[in-house]
Amino acid sequence: MKKKNMLKQVKRYWPFYLMALPACVYFFINNYIPMGGLILAFEKYTVSGGIFGSEKVGLNNFKFLFQSSDAWIMTRNTILYNLAFIVFGTIISILVAYLLHELKHEMSRKVYQTVILFPGLLSIIIISYLANALLAGDTGYINMHILAPLGLEPVSFYSEQKWWPFILIFIHFWQMTGSNCILYLANMSAIDPGLYEAANLDGANRFRCFVNITLPCLVPTIVTLTILSVGKIFNSDFGLFYQVPMNSGAIIDVTQTIDTYVYRGLMNTANMGMSAAACFYQSVVGFCLVMITNALVRKFSRENAMF
Amino acid sequence: MRRKTISILLAAAMGLTLLAGCGGDKDAAGGADGNGGAAGTESFGGGQSQAEIEKIKIYVPTANKFDDMNRVMAAVNEISREKIGVEVEFKAYEFGQWFQQYSLFLSGTEDVDILANYGGYLNAVSQGAAYDLTDLLQEYGQDIVAMEGEYLKSGEVDGVQYAIPIYASYAWTMGIIYRQDVVDELGLQDQVAAVKNLEDWGAVLEAVKAAKPDMTPFVSNSGNTAAVFQYGTWDDLGNNYGVLMNGGDGTEVVNLFETEEYARLCGILHDWYVKGYSNKDIQTQTDSFTVLTQNDAAFSTLGQTDFNTSFYQSTSCGKDMGIVMLDVPVARTYNNVTYTVMSNTKHPEACMKFLNLWFSDEEIGNLISYGIEGEHYQLNENGMGCYVDGQDSSSCTYHLGSAISNTNRIRWESENPEYAQLLVDSNTNAKKSKALGFGFNTANVTNEITQLDNVCSKYQIGLECGALDPEVYLPEFNSALKEAGLDTVIAEKQRQLDVFLEAQ
Repeated sequence: MKKKNMLKQVKRYWPFYLMALPACVYFFINNYIPMGGLILAFEKYTVSGGIFGSEKVGLNNFKFLFQSSDAWIMTRNTILYNLAFIVFGTIISILVAYLLHELKHEMSRKVYQTVILFPGLLSIIIISYLANALLAGDTGYINMHILAPLGLEPVSFYSEQKWWPFILIFIHFWQMTGSNCILYLANMSAIDPGLYEAANLDGANRFRCFVNITLPCLVPTIVTLTILSVGKIFNSDFGLFYQVPMNSGAIIDVTQTIDTYVYRGLMNTANMGMSAAACFYQSVVGFCLVMITNALVRKFSRENAMF
Repeated sequence: MRRKTISILLAAAMGLTLLAGCGGDKDAAGGADGNGGAAGTESFGGGQSQAEIEKIKIYVPTANKFDDMNRVMAAVNEISREKIGVEVEFKAYEFGQWFQQYSLFLSGTEDVDILANYGGYLNAVSQGAAYDLTDLLQEYGQDIVAMEGEYLKSGEVDGVQYAIPIYASYAWTMGIIYRQDVVDELGLQDQVAAVKNLEDWGAVLEAVKAAKPDMTPFVSNSGNTAAVFQYGTWDDLGNNYGVLMNGGDGTEVVNLFETEEYARLCGILHDWYVKGYSNKDIQTQTDSFTVLTQNDAAFSTLGQTDFNTSFYQSTSCGKDMGIVMLDVPVARTYNNVTYTVMSNTKHPEACMKFLNLWFSDEEIGNLISYGIEGEHYQLNENGMGCYVDGQDSSSCTYHLGSAISNTNRIRWESENPEYAQLLVDSNTNAKKSKALGFGFNTANVTNEITQLDNVCSKYQIGLECGALDPEVYLPEFNSALKEAGLDTVIAEKQRQLDVFLEAQ
């Protein structure tokens, strides 16, 4: 019965299927065929053996991820930073989007939006040097022009761990808020103005409008974006965590994430199997987390689940 | 009916893409298998007629110009076709790009036959990307054997010749590299002449700091990407996890980081850091000593020193440079530039023939290093190479430079005129490490080395540039290294070294 329906549907809507075909082919070639390469994670890759013929070594390649005493530190850092990015990121993005949305003056809204968006267009290398210009010990702006005139002791940022969670989170939001709030902004302009008018007639103030109209309308977007970012919770923004701390060893306990660990450990050895294992691990955990989050969402509010 | 046709067409199209995907994979796997088998038998090309021209590709990194590569290669091929029946195609990469793509080249997916290896070929060996050249070298590489002799061992692992090293300067030691012109200006010559060890250098730094407030007296050599004691007085046997102290005059592999020597060096550097001889930001220094010196921002550093260092440094820094060696130069296995033949090449013999020609024939040597005479370079009155009138290093369209091959070429005007002979003398007469020719095979300890590299990225640079107090952090560093498996690596190294020494 179901099969028949499917066939009927294809017959009826075939132009749409035709339109989707290039995208399907693209995903198949670009995203599905390379998955065969995951086999590398279980091999000791050699050139003569190739991708499928190299010696199989079971889970050997995964060992280095868990053997080390740093395993706990890098996993903790990766997850905590990502949680901070997800939780505060959602709040800040919605807030900024709401403020922009409420600006009725077209010109100034565009100016503000561009200004907020601009850091996102900068290369992380440039950002790391901007940060360095502020934080450097001998020549940095903060030490030379803020702390010194106030008669305070200079701070050696690149060797003191306590500052870095704040610095990294600040830089992340400074850089990403502009692009993150675009989706929310678009969503807000799509909300039926009639709802606000009705609420105004009933005497609701701005705050009530925000809580009772804007937020509920944004819930599907929030849920979708959160599920997507939860899927990447084991990955980290490599540039932010590797470039911005300028490879300073003393602060590695708070800047090391899984990606930087893999890079630092494998940069010199160029081991395909171990790199593949690290990515495999990140993807599998990410996949499981997406499924779990989605299942939870489906349980509590079916209509907001992604699938 | 029409709809049906279209759905059939669509299905067919999808089926085809599927097949195409699988087909590609099969080809790749099949090709790899075929090569693997052939590499084992070492007998291909036997049936080929000698008249047939074999074409090979070579990838090299360079900091110089290669716009006119095609014309230079045409000239090279003119000669190599005639002499050995081989045509080559060089592909040059900027250094930054090279280091990012090198791992990719090693994976065997590129169409390349000979690969340059900067800073060691052991990864190429451990990935099975290096062709076993032992027999080919004897058959087609006699000129190289004659030139390089026992130093060819720096391309061996477990007695197998995997790489062809260039005939470089093997005898060196740790030393101080400094601005000679500044020393002269401040009248510190006597003080510098009296420097016997690293401690003594502190007095010179003190004087420079007082006289030149804008110049940092001591900086790290290559920024914070490499350890400050990278080129030590010890023989590091391939990596710093287990070394032979005192230039390898013993055979016991020890933990460098636990030696008194290492603690002493870290102590001096920390003292300098506290006294302000080095910058407070030395841990995050990104520019190299060369760049800083060019801009008058640095006075001295620690680095690899040999008979040619002050000459070489003066050229690259554009300033008059001097050196103080902290020990006698010792010859060891380490070689920065080696060439490996890819294990999946179809022309291993042609590769060896060409390497032999390139490393021994002066005409080819000149062409590849400097380009075509009269167009890319000319001879000055002393018979040394220089840029053509009206051109310089930035406007010249071809100049790969002299550091990529052997000394079978004219000297460039900035080189020491006697370089070739001095090099032979230095390599022949130098004190030799007991482990000269030993190459460490890391295959059994990959996990440990990955972890050790991570431990080092946390402590090593901080300790060696003096930012971390060795009293506190050196014990911490050592216990972290032990936890990461340093003892396993040292034991493995000792075992391999014993086997190597026994075979001598």
